[in-house]
Amino acid sequence: MTVTASPVPQLPPPTRPHVRAIRLLRDEAWTGALAVLLAGLLIWQSTQVFRWGAFELETLFVSTLPLVFLALAQTVVVIAGGIDLSVGAQMVLFNCVSGYLMLDAGFGMSLLYAALVIVLGMAVGVLTGWIVTISGVPDIIVTLATGFIWVGVALWIMPQPGGGAPDRFRELFTGTGTAFWPALLCIAIPVAVVWTLLRRTRTGLSIYALGSDPQAAFLAGVDARKARLSAYALAGVFTALAGLATTAYTGGGQASLGVANTATLGAVAAVVLGGVALTGGVGGLIGPVLAVWCLFLIPANLLTLGVDPAYGEVVRGVVIVLVVLGGSLLRRKWSRT
Amino acid sequence: MTLVESPEKAPERTASRRLPAAMLALVGVLLALVLANGVVDASFFSFGQLRNTLLLAAPLALFAGAQTLCMLTGGIDLSVTMTATAVAYVVGSRAAAGDSTLTALLLGFAVALVIGLINGLAIGVFGVNPLIMTLGMAAILTGVLTAGSQSFLSGATQMPQLVLTLGRGTFLGPLPWNLLVWAVLAVLLVLLLRRTGLGRLIYAIGDNRRAARLAGVRVWQVETAVYVIAALLGAVAGILIGGRSGAVDLQLAGSFLLPSVAAAVIGGTSILGGVGGYGGTVIGALILTVLDTMLTRLSVGEAFRQFIAGVILLALAWFYVSSTRRASARRSPA
Repeated sequence: MTVTASPVPQLPPPTRPHVRAIRLLRDEAWTGALAVLLAGLLIWQSTQVFRWGAFELETLFVSTLPLVFLALAQTVVVIAGGIDLSVGAQMVLFNCVSGYLMLDAGFGMSLLYAALVIVLGMAVGVLTGWIVTISGVPDIIVTLATGFIWVGVALWIMPQPGGGAPDRFRELFTGTGTAFWPALLCIAIPVAVVWTLLRRTRTGLSIYALGSDPQAAFLAGVDARKARLSAYALAGVFTALAGLATTAYTGGGQASLGVANTATLGAVAAVVLGGVALTGGVGGLIGPVLAVWCLFLIPANLLTLGVDPAYGEVVRGVVIVLVVLGGSLLRRKWSRT
Repeated sequence: MTLVESPEKAPERTASRRLPAAMLALVGVLLALVLANGVVDASFFSFGQLRNTLLLAAPLALFAGAQTLCMLTGGIDLSVTMTATAVAYVVGSRAAAGDSTLTALLLGFAVALVIGLINGLAIGVFGVNPLIMTLGMAAILTGVLTAGSQSFLSGATQMPQLVLTLGRGTFLGPLPWNLLVWAVLAVLLVLLLRRTGLGRLIYAIGDNRRAARLAGVRVWQVETAVYVIAALLGAVAGILIGGRSGAVDLQLAGSFLLPSVAAAVIGGTSILGGVGGYGGTVIGALILTVLDTMLTRLSVGEAFRQFIAGVILLALAWFYVSSTRRASARRSPA
C-alpha cells in the first residue's frame, strides 16, 4: 500500500532516495533543456532578423496561443494515462461556437459567452471521459469517433467560415500593437490554476496515480472513474480556451477537419517533446508550452536562413522520434539497474 | 472448463469462433446499406455507379489492410497515407523524367520499403511508440514532399499508362482493374494471417507481447515485417489513387487515414491487438464507402456525414467491446 501511494511505481523501489533524486533531476533537466533550446532559438532568430524585438515575441506568443492550450489539454489526458485524438476537433467546435455567438455581441456579452464556452468545454470533456469509462472502448477509438462528431457539429453550426468577436474581447488574448504580455498572461493564469489542482489536490494526485499504474491506483483506493473524468474535464477547459483563442486570433470561426487534425497532431508532438511520457503519470505543464514555442520557431528560423520551411516539418518529425527513442532507451537502462 | 484446456485456446481460434456472428451482423449492415442505396437511387445498381463505388473502395481497403496488420500487433500506422503519396510522387516524377514504367514502379516500391523498414526497426528494435514513430514519419514525409514537389519531385503530373489503366480502367463489366489488384492482395493478406507462421506470430504479439517474446518469438523481426508490408500496401494504394486521379498532389491520400483506422475497427479488429482479421476489415471498408456514396447521393451536408461517420464508428466499437466482454464473462466462470 505504501508503495502505491507514490506516483512513480514503475521503478522497483521507488522510495529509494537516489532514484527519486535522479528522477526529479531528469524531470527538471528536461524542462531546463527545453528552456535552453528555446533561448537558443530566440537568440538565433534575433541574429537573423534586422531589428529583433517585441514584434517577434508577440508573433511567437500570440500565434501559438491556440496550440499551447491544446498541448495543455493533451498533457492532462496523457498524464492520466490516456490520449485524446479529438482535441483539435474540440478546438474547432468551440472556435465555431464562440465565433457564432460573439458575432455582433458587446464586450460584456462576449465575456459571458466565453464563460459559457468554457463550461461547454468541461461538459464535452466529461462526456468523452464518460464514454471512455463506460464503454471500455480504447480511448484512441472513442476520441477518433468523437473527433468526427465534433467537426460535424461545428460544420452544422458554421457551414461557411464566418462569425466574429468584439475587438475588446480579441485584445484580451492578442493584446494591442506589439504587446505580448496579454498572451503570456492568458497562458500563465490557467497553467497556475491547473498546476495547483494537479499537484495540491487529492483529485490531481489521483490523476497522476491513474496514469502511472491503474492497478496500483485502484488498489490504493483511487477512484479511477473520477480521476479520468476530471482529467478529461480539465482537458475540455483547455480545448475551450484554445477555441476562444482561435476566435480571438483569427476574428472568426472556421470548421475544417484539416485544421482539427493538424492541431491534434501538433498537440501530441508538443506533449512528447515536452517531456510528458505517453505511458502516463509523468510530466508537467511547463514543458509542453516550451515545446510548442520551440516547434514554432524551428521552421520560422529555417525560413530566415533561406531553407525551405517545409524542411522544418522534417526537423519536427525527427526531433519527436528521437525524443521518444531516447526516452525509451533511458527507461530500458533504468529498469535494468 | 479446466485450466489445462485454456492454453490451447489460441487467440485467433477464440476470435474466429466469435467472429461469425459479428461478421453476419456486418454483412447484414452492408446489405441493408446497399439496398437503402438502391432505394435512394435506382441507378446505384447500374454498371457506372457500382464501378465508382468499387473504385473508391479498393484504395481504402488496402490502407485499412495495412492498418489491420499493425493493429493486430497492437500498433498503428499513421504514416501509411503519406507513404502512398510519396510513392505516387516518385512514380509520377520518374515516369515524367522518361524512365520506363517498370523502373518507376520499382523505385516507388523501394521508397515504400525503406519507409517501412525505418518504421519497423524503430518500433521493433528501439521500442519507439508506434503512434509517435509513424506520426513523426508522416511529418518527415510531409516536409520532404512539400519541399520536393517544388524541386526534385516536380513534374509528377503524368502517370504512366499502366498506372492509369490500373487506377481507372475497367476489365469486365462494372469491375475496375483496381478491384482485381485489391482482390489478389486481399486473398494474400487473409492467407498470410490465417495460414502462415508469420500470421500466427502477429496475433501472438498482439495478444501478449511479453509472452510471445518469452516463448521465443523474435518480436522485432515480426514487427519489422508488419510495418514493411503495411508500407508496401500503402504503396499499391498510392499507385492506384494516383492512377485514378491522373496527377499527384500532397493531399492525394491524406483523407484516407482516419477512415482506414475506422474501417479496421468497424471490421472488428481491436486496436489493442490480437483480435480481428482482414475479412472484417474488407466489409468495414465497403460499409464506409457505400455509406459515403449514399450520403453523397442524398446530398446531405458535409456536417451530417462527419457526424454520422463518428456515431457509426463509436457504436460499432462499443458493440464489439461489449460482446467481447460478455463472451469472456461467459467463459471465465467455467
